[in-house]
Amino acid sequence: MKSLIVKIAVLFLMTLPVSARTIVVAPGTPVSSLKQAVTIAKNGDTILVKKGTYISFNTLIDKELTILGQGWPVLDARFREEVLTITASHVKLDGFIVTNSKTGSMRDFAGIRLSNAEFITISNNILTNNFFGIYLSNCTHIELLHNRITGSNNIENSGNGIHLWKCKEVLIKENYVTRHRDGIYFEFAKKCLIQDNLSEKNIRYGLHFMFSDDDTYRHNTFKNNGSGVSVMYTRRIAMLDNTFIENWGSSIYGVLLKEITDSRIEGNHFIRNTTGIYMENSDRITVIHNDFISNGWAMRVLASCNKDHFTRNNYKGNSFDVTTNGTLKEIDFDNNYWDKYEGYDLDKNGIGDVPYRPISLYAQIIEQNPQSVMLMRSFIVNLIDKVERAIPSITPESVKDIKPAMKPWKK
Amino acid sequence: MKSLKWIILALVCILAGCSHAPEPILYGKDACAHCKMTIMDKRFAAELITAKGKLFKFDASECMAAFLKENQEVASDAKSVFLVCDFTRPGEFADARKSFFLRDSSLSSPMGGNLAAFISRPAADAAKKDKSAQIYNWSLLVNQSK
Repeated sequence: MKSLIVKIAVLFLMTLPVSARTIVVAPGTPVSSLKQAVTIAKNGDTILVKKGTYISFNTLIDKELTILGQGWPVLDARFREEVLTITASHVKLDGFIVTNSKTGSMRDFAGIRLSNAEFITISNNILTNNFFGIYLSNCTHIELLHNRITGSNNIENSGNGIHLWKCKEVLIKENYVTRHRDGIYFEFAKKCLIQDNLSEKNIRYGLHFMFSDDDTYRHNTFKNNGSGVSVMYTRRIAMLDNTFIENWGSSIYGVLLKEITDSRIEGNHFIRNTTGIYMENSDRITVIHNDFISNGWAMRVLASCNKDHFTRNNYKGNSFDVTTNGTLKEIDFDNNYWDKYEGYDLDKNGIGDVPYRPISLYAQIIEQNPQSVMLMRSFIVNLIDKVERAIPSITPESVKDIKPAMKPWKK
Repeated sequence: MKSLKWIILALVCILAGCSHAPEPILYGKDACAHCKMTIMDKRFAAELITAKGKLFKFDASECMAAFLKENQEVASDAKSVFLVCDFTRPGEFADARKSFFLRDSSLSSPMGGNLAAFISRPAADAAKKDKSAQIYNWSLLVNQSK
């Protein structure tokens, strides 16, 4: 009896793989659209889409399917609808060109929309000319890997490249996002990892966080975006080993931090930005092992910040190292390398014997009187800065690096 | 004498420049006076002109309300001009004091306030999607965010 049950069980198990079919979609065959294939498919099936151009007016994927494109098939919504909506869990979508979603102000039309789903992988797709690229709402355990997302670069008709709303545990890795409003946008997205992405030439921000806690972004490059990267109203964010490069213009920042607490900024490169880091109402932030190179303002720390710690950073070739708008309290600087430091190290322990004051007198003057920027690099400015360094009287006493490093930090 | 004429002309031009006229928002260029974000969305932007003629631009009416919370004297000044974009006519300013504000979870306004302004009450009612949606007038909205 027992052996019979085993035999039946084995038979049952053997039939399982057989039941998962592969449905081939190709132009000119009985199954000539993805929509048809989804209709006849069952959970667990694979749909293989051959090379060709397919019209897709918001094809709904409501079954657990593996959907693979072969030879870059094109799914085109011809600006009339969204292209794809996935509402089922355990879906994989790989190897498609998703293009031409509708635009408009009343709804957020997307190339690929994921709604109330989990365990989905979207990989190796090319998205072009969509209003929003990939739009996730209310999803968990999602992987977005190696997609290329290009928007229209039109201010009116650009949504975000990758848009997350109320999501949890999403991995965004090795994607390229350009010409959208925000490259990657997070609103109420928690415990996500953003790694090895390149976000450049987006109209507003390369990356934008709002109300999203416990996220990590590492080893990404944010280049030449309209306004850099913005992290707002969030807690416990780790920003590691990213590069922020060439974000130029008024009110444009490498990173804009506003009302963010308990976060860590480590190992990042801030190169040729108008302002490297701008901080407002940001508490308990540790800034360590970063390079600030050739920025206008390396850091602008407003008086509303508390208990922040800046250590082991390199400040090189910045017009201004630190500026502020009032009195900084409980902001600690130590062991940073400042190329403008003119102190000495008599005991040769690698640490300067006199403190360095990163806020120059001239920076204070500009703060009160922005027009005086036209005197930059003039003789008189050099003179007053030198005098102030020798006999500090106006620059804030509290802001100083008590142990300035004599040599730049190396990784 | 000729130079005096020019000086008077220049003065007249400068004085004429001190008007209280609203200034168009440069979308994608101007930053919000409260949250520092670049203003992008024509459906939600707002503008404030103080009695002295100082101009502030905002990316959302919730930002203008939050800004007024910190600047009470501007908020209570009858000479302040508050402008909001009408949701049904993106980019067109309407007087905030005469507008209706719909708070509806389906509205994704830039600062998470889920708030849009309408010049007509029926339009605001028509845009309702969520059952718990609420409609405020300007004074209620400002007092609420206090």
